Amino acid sequence: MAQLFGPGADVVARIVLVALVVTPFLIVGSLYVWAGSPYHTRAGETVAQPILFSHAHHVGELGLDCRFCHASVETGRFAGMPATEVCMTCHSQIWTNAPMLAPIRESLAKDQPIQWVRVNNLPDYVYFDHSVHVAKGVPCEACHGRVADMPLMRQAAPLTMGWCLDCHRNPGPNLRPREAEFDTRWTGVGDPAKRAAALMAAYHVSTAGLTDCATCHR
Amino acid sequence: MSARRWTTARAPGLSALDGRIVRPVLGRPTRGWWLAVAGSGALTLVMLAGIAWTFAEGIGVWGNNTSVVWGFGIANYVWWIGIGNAGTLISSMLLLTRQRWRASINRFAESMTLFAAAIAGVFPIIHMGRPMFWYWLAPYPNTMSLWPQWRSPLVWDFWAILSYILFSLIFWYVGLLPDLAVLRDRARGLRIRQVYGALALGWLGSARQWRLHGKLHRTLAMLAVPLVCSVHSIVGLDFAASLMPGWAETIFPPYFVVGAMFSGFCVVIVLAAVIRRALGLQSVITDAHFDVMARIVLAAALIMGAAYASEWFAAWYGGDPAEARFLRFIFLGPYQPLYVAMLALNVGLPQLLWLPRVRRDVGAVVLIALLVNVGMWLERILIILETLSHDYLPSSWRLFRPTLTDGAILVGSLGLFALLFLILSRVAPLVSIHETGELVVTEAAA
Amino acid sequence: MSPTFTVTRGPRRGAPLDRRRALKLLAAGAATALASCGPPREAIVPYARVGDGEDLAPGAIRRYATTLTLAGYGRGVVGRVVDGRPIKLEGNPAHPASLGGSDVFSEAAILDLYDPWRAKAAAGPTGVAAWLDFAEALTARLAGHAADRGAGLRLLTGRVTGPTQLRLIKAIQARFPAMVWARYEPLHDDAERQGTRLAYGRPLTPRPRFAEADVILCLGADPLGPGPDQVAWARAVMARRRGGAAMSRLYVAEPGLSLTGAAADHRLPAGPLVMQALGLEVARRLGAPAQPGETTPRALAFAEAVAADLVAHKGRAVVLAGAGQPAQMHALAAWINQTVAAPVDVIDAIDPNPDDHAESLARLTRDLQAGAVTSLVVLDANPVHDAPEGDAIAAAIGRLPFSADLGLYKDETAAACRWGAPLSHPLEGWSDAVGPDGTPSLAQPLIRPLYDSRTAEQALALMAGEPDAAARDLVRATWRPGAAGDFEAEWRQALIAGVLRRGGPAPTAPPAARWVEPTPITRSPLILALSPHPSLWDGRYAANAWLQECPDPLTKEVWGQSLRLSPSDARTLGLGHGDRARLGFGSRTIEANVRVTPDQALGVASLPLGGGRARAGPIGSGLGGNPARLRGPGLAWSLEGLHIERLGAGRDGLATQADHRLDGDTGELLPTMSLAALAAGARPGADRPPPSLLTTPPRGEHAWAMVIDAAACIGCNACVVACQAENNVPVVGPDEIAVGRDMHWLRVDRYDPGPDDDPNAGFLPVPCMQCEQAPCEPVCPVEASVHDSEGLNDQVYNRCVGTRFCQANCPYKVRRFNFRDYTAGAPWRDLDVTALKAQRNPEVSVRGRGVMEKCTYCVQRISAARAESARDGRPIADGAVKTACQTACPSEAISFGDLEDDASRVAGLRRDPRHYVLLNELGTRPRTTYLARVRNPNPALRKPA
Repeated sequence: MAQLFGPGADVVARIVLVALVVTPFLIVGSLYVWAGSPYHTRAGETVAQPILFSHAHHVGELGLDCRFCHASVETGRFAGMPATEVCMTCHSQIWTNAPMLAPIRESLAKDQPIQWVRVNNLPDYVYFDHSVHVAKGVPCEACHGRVADMPLMRQAAPLTMGWCLDCHRNPGPNLRPREAEFDTRWTGVGDPAKRAAALMAAYHVSTAGLTDCATCHR
Repeated sequence: MSARRWTTARAPGLSALDGRIVRPVLGRPTRGWWLAVAGSGALTLVMLAGIAWTFAEGIGVWGNNTSVVWGFGIANYVWWIGIGNAGTLISSMLLLTRQRWRASINRFAESMTLFAAAIAGVFPIIHMGRPMFWYWLAPYPNTMSLWPQWRSPLVWDFWAILSYILFSLIFWYVGLLPDLAVLRDRARGLRIRQVYGALALGWLGSARQWRLHGKLHRTLAMLAVPLVCSVHSIVGLDFAASLMPGWAETIFPPYFVVGAMFSGFCVVIVLAAVIRRALGLQSVITDAHFDVMARIVLAAALIMGAAYASEWFAAWYGGDPAEARFLRFIFLGPYQPLYVAMLALNVGLPQLLWLPRVRRDVGAVVLIALLVNVGMWLERILIILETLSHDYLPSSWRLFRPTLTDGAILVGSLGLFALLFLILSRVAPLVSIHETGELVVTEAAA
Repeated sequence: MSPTFTVTRGPRRGAPLDRRRALKLLAAGAATALASCGPPREAIVPYARVGDGEDLAPGAIRRYATTLTLAGYGRGVVGRVVDGRPIKLEGNPAHPASLGGSDVFSEAAILDLYDPWRAKAAAGPTGVAAWLDFAEALTARLAGHAADRGAGLRLLTGRVTGPTQLRLIKAIQARFPAMVWARYEPLHDDAERQGTRLAYGRPLTPRPRFAEADVILCLGADPLGPGPDQVAWARAVMARRRGGAAMSRLYVAEPGLSLTGAAADHRLPAGPLVMQALGLEVARRLGAPAQPGETTPRALAFAEAVAADLVAHKGRAVVLAGAGQPAQMHALAAWINQTVAAPVDVIDAIDPNPDDHAESLARLTRDLQAGAVTSLVVLDANPVHDAPEGDAIAAAIGRLPFSADLGLYKDETAAACRWGAPLSHPLEGWSDAVGPDGTPSLAQPLIRPLYDSRTAEQALALMAGEPDAAARDLVRATWRPGAAGDFEAEWRQALIAGVLRRGGPAPTAPPAARWVEPTPITRSPLILALSPHPSLWDGRYAANAWLQECPDPLTKEVWGQSLRLSPSDARTLGLGHGDRARLGFGSRTIEANVRVTPDQALGVASLPLGGGRARAGPIGSGLGGNPARLRGPGLAWSLEGLHIERLGAGRDGLATQADHRLDGDTGELLPTMSLAALAAGARPGADRPPPSLLTTPPRGEHAWAMVIDAAACIGCNACVVACQAENNVPVVGPDEIAVGRDMHWLRVDRYDPGPDDDPNAGFLPVPCMQCEQAPCEPVCPVEASVHDSEGLNDQVYNRCVGTRFCQANCPYKVRRFNFRDYTAGAPWRDLDVTALKAQRNPEVSVRGRGVMEKCTYCVQRISAARAESARDGRPIADGAVKTACQTACPSEAISFGDLEDDASRVAGLRRDPRHYVLLNELGTRPRTTYLARVRNPNPALRKPA
């Protein structure tokens, strides 16, 4: 009877047997890596905006306070975006004719709002409240990164649920004294561990309810 | 019983027998086969249509309502997994207890397990509101750092079914090895022979291989028994782990296992009859086989009766008003006819099997087997409907009315089961070649 | 949640290419399906101009006080507005007709605002038109009436109390002296007007002071039932129905069970005959020269006990006669009240129109048919539907050279008229109204008109000859004259408070009530008693899906109403429960399902008005027959000689609850204690959890809990609709109800603990119990149902996969499953739902198909309070978090708070002797618990209710 298989058959067979076991794990693993990667989370992705607004210039160089434009960050769920008039407080005086700012002038002239493109986006079923985080000593930088160094805005953090939970389980290291929350050049002084503990106490932060589902989902 | 013969006196010679078993696989398909495929295929399409409609419109196309949130989906699941339980249980237990007659039935019994379990696995998924997220029941690394909820019987189910299907597949495959080799040697055409050759994993039939094979087969069988029991116990826990009247009962796990064997054996009986007729295997699947299987069914029926009785007793003796109300409901409520039918089919009817005349009459045994499975399905659906329709607060008492889609998916699943068998019949021998051969030889010698 | 893959992304910088390629290779296969492109980037759209500063804070909730009307009477509400969208209405604590509570009508009004079926533009003989076209046509037509001084002109309205509207109507009458202003309400108070006329010589309005009433006798009256006074009266009455020494005693005699009847200590099912006999007997025992009428022994005993009680409580006992009772009964009530010096204020009628409603409508109908009318303007009324001769009126209107209907909807009358013009929703414009007690209040817009509409005031101004007056100026013009001091200050204050601090009519000292000997009535064949619809009123709310699906408090029927018969009447008529029947008088017949209820009076069949709307959009049209057609001329409340013919076994009316009977052990679900037993130290049942091996979950900062007082609950459903509005709870529609599905997070169960002949119906509002040992939690495979540190039983919609195990294992069955896509599906299917989306509460997820949902204790309100306390560093005070149902409850039956705070209200109520736990024996340790019902039966009456 003629041979059905060549000499390599056994090797192939063994490989196949191994593959049967290994492949599922490989697939799941690679999906996991992919899901956490910027490729999927869009972290670090710079977004084209209607106006080439540079935080690096306005915040880093001119030293504008975050709250000048994002006025409701201390009072409301949303930090808020500046009305065109807010831009015009300065730009009615300087760079009044800069072609780059044409959209702003147009917006005010036509009374048509500027349509900015959202960079940091959370799913609709996540109820994030800026005011609470600010009130509890979480600085802008903790989530938005070093905005002062961003010529064009980009998403600094992965914004995955796991990432949120890391901080909700152990907020201490991210907290800052009240006066330093909006400071874009702040670097902590003293022993971080001590500072964390002190701030946790000062802000009355208890992690008891921080990982409740209803804290973010309703 | 070992004194009894499990092959008819005028059993054909080995080669002839082999021929009968092998021909359907390697030979040309008969017209009957094509007709059967057409029929079962059509039914399968009905099932797929039902599922598609459910996915498109939502669970709303089923009869489920605010109080009776479970319905056919879960009942079908429990029913099929029950049937699925029997095959492996039968063939492994009979193997361990050295029942020679298993040789003729083990193969299709195991195949039945494989298919039934696979079909059962479909229902928990399609009954979900958002089936696309079925994999959330599995523990896999994710960026949400979330895991399944280990206290939930549904998660236990997930593992039970998964491991059971995988195990049954291996057990079935191991048993199949020598036959694959036979097919490899009988088949014409290089491709087919290569395929069978690869699947046979280079089986030569050497004494050493036979010894190892036997050892492995028995070991797996030993693993099988506890596994099988665990699977249906866990299915039972889906209900027993709750606090609803009629569900929260410690008897559920064992009673579900027996119920599984009960319905499973009945399906085996039906399959045996069909295959024996189709393949002309009266010589190896003898009336004696039906007789002995009928005895087992009778025994199971008695245990089921005892289980029902213990439910009533517990409800009465426990004195829990909710349980008492529940008991009144199942006997006097609107589902009464179904419940009575269930009792008649599962406990009453099998009593006929006390009579040797009935046991010897294959037709009768098969009919009883079929009806018992109807009864078992009724039991599954009633377990769900009665508790959910009539629980603690009168304000939430509601009845269940099935829809066309409910029926389509149930009936269709039967078609799928048949279709899978028909396909298998063209791929692998439905009756073990080497084991029946062994049987014939030994009994001829005796 | 499902990403769309259509949008391609902008240039990506930053991510190094090699890694991307590596990832591509890695994630080949499965990953390619998920592809590299995520969901489209959202836009952020700030304002162009700053406007008035903080008001622009996105997502902030602002509150505005305004006024809604029911049957013309004003009721104060406070609207919650987010980003310029009103999303929820609540009662205005400063308004005497609301006191912070609300009813189904004011809770559901918000849905009408966004109703896709609202009239969006005027429609004239030439089809759709602008409002201005209509104004032009109307102005031209009126100019023509200068000649006949308006003799051929008719203005038809419902009850009008708004000072501005009245001022403008006067102006119109000044312009057209011969014009007739017809005014009627289908649910009128003619009997009271005539009764007081009989007793006092002029129509007056008696206003009982329930706070002072120890004994209340209702002769067919339903003070707790739907109506402009429901909220205030429920508050006052139920405040004294919770046990304790101050508990009042409530006697009710009525044909069919009402909410007041359900709350009564003693209830007597009584047709007109028994009712009159009862009244006379009581009056006789109080010294009236009355002849004792023929009556039943039970009624006699009842009368004896009542009379004795009334005398015993002189000065602290009140008698009320119902709107459906004959005038003489009202006169009799007035006489009794005077005799027992009842705490009743008698005020001049708020409604200045001198005519009786029926008479006014009858004259209009006559004139229309006689051809005496040439122009008709219908303002916010719908005679074609709710007038007895609606069809005749429609035909007559069709013959008119000019007819216009102004309303929120293109209803039956609009269809009959030549012109239809849209009125603004009350939340869209300036107006004013007077409460049933005479308190004036302002209505201010919470949003710009969504469509090309005007307010009723503007329409009247147009007729008065002020074509383009601004609604605000019209209202201000009304109030400026009477200003005591600085008008602007008063105006601002009134807008903030919602009420004007200008006294309504002061209680008049009425002349002595004359004794009026009622004309004896004879035993009559079957009687039909009509009543207000508990959620559709007179049918005007039929287009509102929330109200259509709001269960009848007593029968739990939705999307239609059945005819109620007593068992013995049903037997004699050969009718069975659920039968289809044709009922009526001669040629005037309608079809309806029959509902056999033991609490129905012998010889009386009850049916609510409001059904059978022909043009109420896809929601309200074609649901049953129109009972208004059965009323003879005179807008009768009850008609003799009803004829019923069985048509066959129909489907039982759609209901959200089938079984009401409580017997045996189920009795403890709704325990009822007598005041005496309570005083003697009786307890409704164990409220301590049974021993358990399970570990109790650790307690966090707060322990939220709710206590519901079953004794105070009147079953009005305000909480149900409030919950629906607050939590984006969808409507499922009749088809889904028919297969036993519903979505209300909070349901009000009705149970009958008593025997058949005296069911003693009671209510049990059932939200999620928020169990500490929640059966739903351990069974969920994906942890979508989880416990939180503050004791809430969270339901995470975005995690839920829909196995429904949680509901299967919930002993209270409080969870609701989205069997279909209810957010966009039927009954809205044919409609543009974009408008509806504007109503949704942005703080609550809109649940998708296949997801389980349930009551969350309004967790969004808890978070809001938590955020506030985090911002200003103060702890959450008791009462700072109020759930939607709690706020709505007119009788303050629902309390919510923190058990960690031992001084909190709930903590106190949990120590109340009436406290009990639903299904306590299961050991679920619910956070929602109850206070048992109390009854204060009269020992003199043998069989206490």
